[in-house]
Amino acid sequence: MMGFFHSAFVIARRDFVATVWSRTFLFFLMGPLLIIGLSFLFGSMSGRMARQDVHATVAVVATQADFEPLAAARERLNPGFGERALPTLVREQPDGDPARQVQALLGNPSKRILAVMTGGLERPVLTGAISGDGSIRKQMSLILDQAAQQRALAAAGRSAAPVAIEVVETDRSEGALAATRAITARAGQLLLFMLTVLLAGMLLSNLLEEKSNKIIEVLAAALPIDAIFVGKLGAMLAVSLVGIGVWVSGALAGLALLPSQAGSLPEPAVGWPLFVLLVLLYYSANYLLLGALFLGIGSQANSVREVQTLSMPVTVGQMLIFLLASFAVGAFNSPLGLAAAIFPFSSPLTMVARAAQTAELWPHALALAWQALWVWLTVALGARLFRRNVLKSGGARGGMLRRRRTSSPS
Amino acid sequence: MASGLAIEAKRLFKAFDGKTAVDGIDLAVPEGSIYGILGPNGAGKTTTLRMLLGIIDPDRGERSLLGRSRPLEVASQVGYLPEERGLYPAMTAREAVAFMGALRGLPLATGRARAEEMLRSNGLADYVDKPIRSLSKGMAQTVQLFGTIVHRPRLIVLDEPFSGLDAINQGRLEHLIRDEAAGGATIIFSTHVIAHAERLCERIAIIAGGKVRFEGRVSEARDRLRPQVRLRTRVADGAWRSALPKGAHHDDGLWSFELPQAGIEPLLKALIDAGAGIEDLSIERPGLHDAFVAIAGEQAARELADSAAEGDVR
Repeated sequence: MMGFFHSAFVIARRDFVATVWSRTFLFFLMGPLLIIGLSFLFGSMSGRMARQDVHATVAVVATQADFEPLAAARERLNPGFGERALPTLVREQPDGDPARQVQALLGNPSKRILAVMTGGLERPVLTGAISGDGSIRKQMSLILDQAAQQRALAAAGRSAAPVAIEVVETDRSEGALAATRAITARAGQLLLFMLTVLLAGMLLSNLLEEKSNKIIEVLAAALPIDAIFVGKLGAMLAVSLVGIGVWVSGALAGLALLPSQAGSLPEPAVGWPLFVLLVLLYYSANYLLLGALFLGIGSQANSVREVQTLSMPVTVGQMLIFLLASFAVGAFNSPLGLAAAIFPFSSPLTMVARAAQTAELWPHALALAWQALWVWLTVALGARLFRRNVLKSGGARGGMLRRRRTSSPS
Repeated sequence: MASGLAIEAKRLFKAFDGKTAVDGIDLAVPEGSIYGILGPNGAGKTTTLRMLLGIIDPDRGERSLLGRSRPLEVASQVGYLPEERGLYPAMTAREAVAFMGALRGLPLATGRARAEEMLRSNGLADYVDKPIRSLSKGMAQTVQLFGTIVHRPRLIVLDEPFSGLDAINQGRLEHLIRDEAAGGATIIFSTHVIAHAERLCERIAIIAGGKVRFEGRVSEARDRLRPQVRLRTRVADGAWRSALPKGAHHDDGLWSFELPQAGIEPLLKALIDAGAGIEDLSIERPGLHDAFVAIAGEQAARELADSAAEGDVR
């Protein structure tokens, strides 16, 4: 009799070769490119939308004398707002009928006025489609306050020049590190999350071929069902590691082409070597935890349609786990952070973020032991589901939870 | 469990969703024999084989495969062709055979070499590196059969192996079964075609309704029925008729009745003395079909015939 791991290896080797040599694996490899492409697309879209916000124009119905303090106040405040600039102010000469003039300005397609301000500094009225978050109202209020203060100072014969700050740059500060490490933390979480999302579909439909081609009977007659399960799980882990290898190589090549960007990745709190090791360990734990579950659930499906039906709740579940882990970033000792670290399915994502942000190592030892326990339990549960659904056999016994088969006499 | 038996089952019982599929089956398959499990569809043949192989566990009862109570412990010495054939469509014929061997512990390289040899010697040289999806159904079945025996198992379990094969391939398979048995392997196969069991098997089990109705030598099954005597006489009627045994019936000028316990000689003498004018007399040994009807009943025989017809369609 072949050993358990040899049996698993026979299955893993077949699945690995069949997957890596398939056309669909190319699509899998291109998955991150798709994600990066979509990120750029959404990034440029949101940037464009932001720029459209920046160029919001407010018409000020005022004389030149009344308008100038407002324009000056805007110029003084605007640099502090960075990309989200204050609205552009354009002056409109009063024509004697404010109500009609406001409506005409708001309805003029060539001027693209967001809002119209009337009443000057004394009784300002802002008219326009500006309900939203009230940011335009708040910004206009800021400009008016500044203008009013400047006018009051001028009336008192005084003026206040902008205060100049001397900046002394240091190499690092804890605050800056915390902020930049949060980027590493979220990047690590995102990487793990995206990988399992990419693999979820493959895992859910992993047994479809064997079931639809009746091969499962041949496999089950030759090898323990648990070994088939572990082999399939191992094959997909190996496939994903090949994928990671390709992606990391691609990313390194990309960074080599863009040397100015190479040094901009914030160093994690535990240092790069340990962080990479922990990412691999947590990735494996995350994959095995979710993979075993998906493979077990997927074994219920008998057709592509059923797999698609199962995909929806699985994806939603993954999103919820990711959200829980995201909330924990920077708040690891909060009740939510601790819950995310303890809940087995969000624990790997949470702990990866922790490795990026805090240097303590003992929580990782504890977390890995905890996750290893849950990996064993989940794989055993998955194998049991698998056995029950695939062969309509198994019941309350057998499997990795209780290996000994009870029906055979000695 | 007794030695010298490749398979032994005692009181195997299996139910699915409360419905009994196998109800206390006993089997004893001697090593080196060709053994047939005969029964209509739904009789419990496949469930029995799956339990024997350890694919599913019985609810009750005992089983032994090559002397081991855990079938997977001897998986490397067993070959299994399931009723529902299955291969990976993208695999080549050579890889498919080698993979099935690898499942039973045969090194891949050895499996590939043997696969090529088997395929070439059976007229499939052009298909060695062709994917399974490009093969005809018959070829794919042949490839799976080679995968079943590539590791040279001691015990070969075939579930409805003739189903879906044309007459030529059925003949080839019978030949292969005989060859494997001649090489020392034990072969057990299920079938609903009496002729295959009759031609190939030394021992059979007749299963109907989840129960074994008969288990033993084919000759023993036949011997359950007395040989039939067919008699044609020149004289249609007369005193000689009183010499005929009870139960004799006349049809189209031919008398048929069971061979008397005392043998044919006393009857023959009585008929001659009474002036029957014997024109033709023959003693026919009952076929397995007659034995099946007698053992399992008319209903099971009809179901068997229906199953065979379905199998031909498949």
